[in-house]
Amino acid sequence: MAGSGLLGTPAAAGPRRSAAVTRRRPVRDRIRQGAWGWLFVTPMVLVLGLFMALPILMALWVSLLHWDGQSNPFTGHADFVGLGNYRDLISSDGLSRTLFATSLRNTAYYVLLTVPAQTVLALGLAIVVNQRMMRGRGVARTVFYFPSVTSSIAVSTVFLFLFQGSGSVNRMLSWIGVKGPNWFADPRGVVWLVLGDLGFTDPDHPGGPLARHGVLGLSWADWFSGPSVAMCTLILLSVWTTSGTFMLIFLAALQGIPRSLEEAAALDGVNRRQLLRHVTLPALRPVVFLVLTLGLIATWQVFDQVYVMGKGAPGNTTLTPAYLSYSSGFDNADYGHGAAIAFVLLAIILPLAGLQRWVLRERGGRGRRLRRGGRGPLRAPREEVGARG
Amino acid sequence: MPISRSLGGAAAACAAAVLLTVTGCSSGGGFDSSAPKQSSSGSPQSLSVMIATSGDAETAAVKQATAAWARQTGNKVTVQLASDINQQLGQAFAGNKPPDVFYVNSDQFANYAKGGSLYAYGDQIPNASAFSGPLRDSFSYGGKLVCLPKDSSTLGLAINTDLWKQAGLTAADYPTTWQQLAKVAAKLTKGGVTGLVTTPDYQRLGALMKEAGGWITDPGQTAMTADSAADRQALDFVKSMMSAGSLKYASDVDAGWGGEALGKKKAAMTIEGNWLAGAMKADFPSVGYTVVPLPAGPAGKGTLVFSNCWGVAARSGHQKAAVDLVRHLTSAGQQLAFADAFGVMPSRTDALATYARKYPAAKAWVDGIAYAQRPVTIAGFNQVLTQFNTDLQSLRTSSSAQILEGLQRNGGQVLKNGR
Amino acid sequence: MADERPVLGRFPRPARIAGRLALCAFALLYVLPFLIQLATSLKTDPDAAAHPMTLFPGNPTVAAYRRLFGAGGGVESVPFLRWLGNSAFVTVAVTSGRVLFDSMAGYALARLPFAGRRTLFVFLLSAMSVPPVVLLIPKFLVLKSFGMFDSYSGMITPLLVDAGGVFIMKQFFESLPREIEEAARIDGAGVPRIFWSVVLPMSKAPLITLTVLSFQGSWNEFTHFLVSTQSSRYDTLTTGLAHFVSGGLGGGTQYPLKLAAALLSTLPVAALFFCFQRYFVRGSNAGSVKE
Repeated sequence: MAGSGLLGTPAAAGPRRSAAVTRRRPVRDRIRQGAWGWLFVTPMVLVLGLFMALPILMALWVSLLHWDGQSNPFTGHADFVGLGNYRDLISSDGLSRTLFATSLRNTAYYVLLTVPAQTVLALGLAIVVNQRMMRGRGVARTVFYFPSVTSSIAVSTVFLFLFQGSGSVNRMLSWIGVKGPNWFADPRGVVWLVLGDLGFTDPDHPGGPLARHGVLGLSWADWFSGPSVAMCTLILLSVWTTSGTFMLIFLAALQGIPRSLEEAAALDGVNRRQLLRHVTLPALRPVVFLVLTLGLIATWQVFDQVYVMGKGAPGNTTLTPAYLSYSSGFDNADYGHGAAIAFVLLAIILPLAGLQRWVLRERGGRGRRLRRGGRGPLRAPREEVGARG
Repeated sequence: MPISRSLGGAAAACAAAVLLTVTGCSSGGGFDSSAPKQSSSGSPQSLSVMIATSGDAETAAVKQATAAWARQTGNKVTVQLASDINQQLGQAFAGNKPPDVFYVNSDQFANYAKGGSLYAYGDQIPNASAFSGPLRDSFSYGGKLVCLPKDSSTLGLAINTDLWKQAGLTAADYPTTWQQLAKVAAKLTKGGVTGLVTTPDYQRLGALMKEAGGWITDPGQTAMTADSAADRQALDFVKSMMSAGSLKYASDVDAGWGGEALGKKKAAMTIEGNWLAGAMKADFPSVGYTVVPLPAGPAGKGTLVFSNCWGVAARSGHQKAAVDLVRHLTSAGQQLAFADAFGVMPSRTDALATYARKYPAAKAWVDGIAYAQRPVTIAGFNQVLTQFNTDLQSLRTSSSAQILEGLQRNGGQVLKNGR
Repeated sequence: MADERPVLGRFPRPARIAGRLALCAFALLYVLPFLIQLATSLKTDPDAAAHPMTLFPGNPTVAAYRRLFGAGGGVESVPFLRWLGNSAFVTVAVTSGRVLFDSMAGYALARLPFAGRRTLFVFLLSAMSVPPVVLLIPKFLVLKSFGMFDSYSGMITPLLVDAGGVFIMKQFFESLPREIEEAARIDGAGVPRIFWSVVLPMSKAPLITLTVLSFQGSWNEFTHFLVSTQSSRYDTLTTGLAHFVSGGLGGGTQYPLKLAAALLSTLPVAALFFCFQRYFVRGSNAGSVKE
């Protein structure tokens, strides 16, 4: 940014006039370009400012109110409750806290199972599809990627049908002699279910003594129940739809591994497993980390599927913070409470996003080489995030 | 230098955004709380009506009735189906874009009335006393009748007559006590058929609480009485039938509600209200069934009564036309037409008498009105009851006492905070 | 084309066949749901409930599709055409807005020196980190304050710029050689002219990527439409279908109808996917896959 001081003393120096002309031109150009620059970013600033930054500020205010949605929250008459809404979520015993704790538990299990599963599956698919001699790898890639481009509402509808009590999945399970559960109606946690089947616990009183005490309004038995059977369908859906996207990210990274590296290893006489373990996986490590953080960020936000597949039922075991925030506001007309949940959720997700940015930054230096050909695989996540916003 | 420059730029950007906001606020006036502008009554008006439908039959009947009124008056009516009417209405009120006329659920009525979203038009109805007393009480707030009850419904025990006969049972075996209910349900349960199928909500199972002599609150709705021996007894009875396998929830047999289970012959009996009649006629016309009163519990007979009312938005610009539409929709003739179409019972006592004569099969439901419990209508209670319904979903594996303790505690908090 | 020889020798034949079979079986898991969806949409209600796995319905019927297009003859038809119309309108508006505004902002951030550029870039990065579901209630509040709740403008305006798209374009413009623009500048072309006649024509690939991503994003958008509208006349395929599936519009399971609606709503994106697959792939990878 050249100083604007030059503008005040333009044609002062006579003998150096020609030099001044050549220098003035870029200065004027620069100012003009600056003006155009602002003009070009104005739509972005307006839209992101008015529909992202401003709403957050407004919601921050509303989260300090008790507001039932039937008056104007931005006047002096608003029922200001300070941090009351946050207290209801975290410290004061009551229904609000129990529901919030339940949603956190559900999502924690959802994240814990979905993220590793989708990462491992995507990596496996990528390695298989990357086989150079394989015929039909284009078809395979298309098949695995296709679910990711469809709408979450449409695929949730399909899964609702597939996982009915007498639906396709249970029909298939019955072919191999397994009696499938009634997926969407089954609130039992899989941990107690399995332990009960093995005879370790009484199936009618899951958790035993753990059911008597608890924290945050939820008994220990509930905390350790694992995801419910119904939640498992959401996990399966999520793994099914996202593995294709992550597969592509891995695929790009695999193709970015210099062939010479693999050939050198081959000359050393390594076998396949060693090649995978000592050459391929280490080269993929940053991308694995990237996929993990992406998965973590996305899974904490699960909403669409919950909306379609039961709205928290059965037994609140598919309730997630995102849905709880929505339903507190729009179902129960307690917008302050809903906004408070949204901010707690934001506090959970933002560090994850920060972590991801930090990882990308570190990789930015090393990845510069890749950028020449048009940005390395590390770019994908942002588009993914951006395309949804 | 560059840093302070860019900060300056950012400040300018923020300032521009704030400026736009302010102007946007003042012109948009989204939170403007002044009285709605009323369209003149002379010109044709366009009204939107939001309903939560029980099925195609109800949708068609409401569309037909509103269309008839529109033809008569030269106005236009659009009927909108809500998938979750509480949520959609809440959003509409908060967004200042409410429909003109809509169903108001009894459990939401107090919230809306308290928030000032409803236009109280009761005083414009000359013959309001023709509507049954308890229902008028349900839809009054601050001593004023706010909206007219749309219809009335009570619960009965619907029995699939074929399955009943196949199990070797006769009319003499219709259960009148809990013990008999458990016995016939066990007898009817075989193959793909479950003896009794119902939905896990207090709007069904609550009837058993009533039969056991309990209920969620005291009659004046000022104190919680959920955690009582009678209520525990009712839920324990349900639990015992569940562990016997003769009672299942509708979702356990892949049905959306009891009527669907009955129609698909997955249930031999179900606990449903008179909306069942319309749905059976439309979806399962070939399935024969009969309705008997719910069997009596330890404390005698019990059932629940429900109604919606026709709400008119306080922010509607067409209040006059809207009230006229409601008058049309709640006329005795129209209520009987709705009854014909989808089986609801009239909320007017005169029309109810006609209905009882015309539909002897609905006797159990009509008679139920005499001893029915009306729903809880306390502002802010919705979440408590939702949680109760959620807990009821896992009744099979949890303890009745724990569920009722939770209800008692959660409800108590609302009552305490509301006071 | 890279060297196609494998680094290590091929797997022995039996292992190869076994691997292939396993892969096919696995691929079937990804395809089967869509096939079942198609088959079920051609069944009657009882048939769908009784035979959820049959891929070839005994006596196929297009009743579900007739009902969707208002030709069912029944009393109530699902307003599918309205949903479709709304989705198409909103998608076209949002996509054109995004392509234009994202590339404008991307160009400015990449090439035009202006005060506050660095801060804006930080702002952009933070905007990309904000999870959309956190904005449900906030967006509703702001739309309501602006009087834009329950209107097309409320549905479209907030989606007109997407931070991720700006970022893609900025990265791309930075990778372009500066010399061509310099030459145009020396010839006396102004910024808009350079942008429009020099830079954009060089940017076909990222522009197509951006178009494809924006189309997919706004066609599949759900949460924003959920909180920005209330009347059924603004229902899009996603909100309409979600309301329908989660219980509205009458009882009963009606799976053939629901699955037919879901299938039809998937088709445009599917068609786009099969035509522009490499741009989707590029979108996911931002061009590092070379084939």
